[in-house]
Amino acid sequence: MAITGPRPLPLLAALTAGALLLAGCSSGTGSGSGAAATAGAAGIDEKPVQGGSLTYATDVEPISFDIHVSQQDITGAIQRNVFDSLVHQDDKGEFQPWLAKSWEIAPDLKSYTFHLREDVKFTDGTVFDAEAVKANFDRIVAKETKSQYAASLLGPYTGTEVVDAHTVKVNFSEPFAPFLQAASTAYLGFYSPKAIKENGSKLGAGGPADVGTGPFVFTGYTKGQSAVFTRNPDYNWAPPSANHQGPAYLEKLTIRFLTEDSVRVGALSSGQVQVAEPIPPADVRTVQGDPKLRTIATDAPGANYALVLNTTKAPLDDPKVRKAVQRGIDLDTDIQSVYFGVYKRAWSPIAPSTPYYDKSLEKSWPYDKAAAEKALDEAGWTARDGEGYRTKDGKRLSLEWPLPPAEYVREQRETLGQAIQADLKKIGVEITRPRLDIGTYIANVYGGKEHIADYSWARFDPDVLRLYFNSASKPSTGGQNATFYEDAQLDQWTTTGKGTFDKAVRQDVYTKTQQRAIELGLIVPLYVRTAVVGTGAKVRGLTADPNTWLAFHGAWIAK
Amino acid sequence: MSTGTTGFAEPADTPAPARSSAPRLLRAAARRLLGAAAVLLGAATVAFAALQLVPGDPVTVMLGPGTAATPEVKAAIQEQYGLDRPVPVQYFTYLGHLLTGDLGESYQLQRPVADLIGDQLGPTVQLGAAALGLAVLLALLAAVGTAGRRPALRALSSLAELLAVSSPSYWIGILLLTAFSFQLRVFPVAGDDGFAALVLPAVTLALPVAGMLAQVLREGLETALGKPFVLTARSRGVGSAAVVLRHALRHAAVPVVTLTGWLTGSLLGGAVLVESVFGRPGIGALTLQATTNKDLPLVIGLVLLSALVFVVISALVDLLYLVIDPRLRTD
Repeated sequence: MAITGPRPLPLLAALTAGALLLAGCSSGTGSGSGAAATAGAAGIDEKPVQGGSLTYATDVEPISFDIHVSQQDITGAIQRNVFDSLVHQDDKGEFQPWLAKSWEIAPDLKSYTFHLREDVKFTDGTVFDAEAVKANFDRIVAKETKSQYAASLLGPYTGTEVVDAHTVKVNFSEPFAPFLQAASTAYLGFYSPKAIKENGSKLGAGGPADVGTGPFVFTGYTKGQSAVFTRNPDYNWAPPSANHQGPAYLEKLTIRFLTEDSVRVGALSSGQVQVAEPIPPADVRTVQGDPKLRTIATDAPGANYALVLNTTKAPLDDPKVRKAVQRGIDLDTDIQSVYFGVYKRAWSPIAPSTPYYDKSLEKSWPYDKAAAEKALDEAGWTARDGEGYRTKDGKRLSLEWPLPPAEYVREQRETLGQAIQADLKKIGVEITRPRLDIGTYIANVYGGKEHIADYSWARFDPDVLRLYFNSASKPSTGGQNATFYEDAQLDQWTTTGKGTFDKAVRQDVYTKTQQRAIELGLIVPLYVRTAVVGTGAKVRGLTADPNTWLAFHGAWIAK
Repeated sequence: MSTGTTGFAEPADTPAPARSSAPRLLRAAARRLLGAAAVLLGAATVAFAALQLVPGDPVTVMLGPGTAATPEVKAAIQEQYGLDRPVPVQYFTYLGHLLTGDLGESYQLQRPVADLIGDQLGPTVQLGAAALGLAVLLALLAAVGTAGRRPALRALSSLAELLAVSSPSYWIGILLLTAFSFQLRVFPVAGDDGFAALVLPAVTLALPVAGMLAQVLREGLETALGKPFVLTARSRGVGSAAVVLRHALRHAAVPVVTLTGWLTGSLLGGAVLVESVFGRPGIGALTLQATTNKDLPLVIGLVLLSALVFVVISALVDLLYLVIDPRLRTD
């Protein structure tokens, strides 16, 4: 008996890459920014209500709650309410003060000096100071921590110097521009040094051992059921741009783990939970039609779900064949019918909410069956076999695009795959989709043995372009360049973009990178995932950070 | 006592009718324990072998595709769990730990397997016991109430049983939730918050079991009711209800007990679905997570647990046979 519907994907930050949580923007379908926006526009004139409790249902339960260890989106999303960061990244991608009042970056980008706020306390009473920063960063890179993600965010970290009680200097062995963005994520949040000392190995288990400085205190966790948070009454250090200052309004926040879509939606519509997400595309219209409910929809940032074409494997080594695949899929129709108009067709490798998105790519490569057929003719695939597929020198034009086991497939991607298969058959291209076990799948796809791979990568930073197209970003070493294409320009642009804070330069190189990736037919972006949150009509002030994660600090429930 | 290797040989010194049943009982118990140990060893071995057959590097599979973990982190994980050592060494190390009662530590949750199972066992035992009790009760009511009479009622009950047996419990769960939680709002949607939250999951888990039990029980009852001893009982003037309850039921009960034992073991499998639909904590949810993440120590711990459950239940079933059927009490 199989559980139908998308499954929870505990580990697959990549395949799913999905920001599992989402974001705010006013209701209706996403207007595009991964911005901090507010739910319940009607609440503007109302006076926020203190107290009360809110239950929020989500589909994935964290495996580890340890922000320094976990690679799961859900861990970061939940713990964002418990842990603060040095800096805050606003919806335009700019960095604002948070636990650091100000900072200086060395001209060689090899060290960052942060001046910390002096009034911040962990919820166990410990003072947040330079020593705390050092203890946390050192813990992340320590071998015993076995960090699956946070350590990679620290990159070429060599150590933290305590300059004085409230000044730290973080050092790197080479220029490291991505550090500010990394420092703004929940994964580089701060545990109380006391908690690290006393419960260092137990922080992944959740509950009161996880002591942070955030607006909520992690008070309880029942595995398989729920996590409970209570207000931190002393909280007074939200980022200046936050929609609310001071302690959270809500007295208590309960997170329920309801993996079944129909159960989660049912719990929301019957009022048993006040916030539920994700709302699957098939249910969005029903929820929107319910007067007791509202939806908040936002486009997830980062790399869109896409077909990544392996340029080293014939016949995809021929750019004409790649272009034919790109133009021969009727994406507008396919995406509309599979996702009920909730997800939008993608035009760039990155989503519109990602900084430096190139809008000029929109509508620049529409479905064009004739052009696709012409490209294949030019490439020499002119003959046809008995089943209508093109052949060249007696060989069929056949591409292998493997399927991982069902539990790794989400968002009805298999159905979308069938539509793509049917479209490409019309131009004489055969797509085969063998189902592989996960071990073979990883070995083949990341070993360059397959024609096509499909994945997305949620991250609020155009640096994902480097991850996807820089030839040094090899899948064998933790990179994501399954195009295996080596291009001096793409390498240079993405490396330049990573190494600078100059906005004009970044704008220039990232625009060129997006255009060139499409032009070379390295990738076929498919859809922009729109994260839809359903809320009860009385929920106000619910916001999302640029990663599209819900923040409950400013949320309250109207009378 | 010089017990031979032939476990079934009768001791030479017991021809005397003097009831030396104590050593005999001990032997029987020892045989049982040995058997149980063999089953557990077998289960641990099969689980270990099955997980070895999963293709690919275990650490990569565990972390999933597209992990940001560096090769160094992978090496550290590999070293910690001894995955870099030869398979036979891993196997015997593992068995050695098992002998000392150490189930190891979960790869992903980084907690001792025994603690994890201990934490999650309560809600599942509660759910399983409630479902089993309910299933047996429903089956008894349906079978006794309709066996051999009231054709219309019997047909209706059979149909209901067939539906219950053939509907996936996942679907039954969603249906019950939609009706009683989302629409009527009698019961909470999910979780482990006391009795009200237990009702729907227990019913979901119990219905297919009840359906199957009722069918077998009714057939047994009807066969028994056709036997000459029933006629004898009737001719003594025993009422029809008493015939069913006192005479036929005992006859029909043996296969039902066997089946109940087997179904009780399978409840653990049903719990995987029911717990995930209802968002309840428990062994089922833990199993789902462990297998999805290829969490070897946890999977083996759970396999051992279910093997243990089967062993205990089959022992109980054997005992019940003796209670029900006097012919089996041979001395």
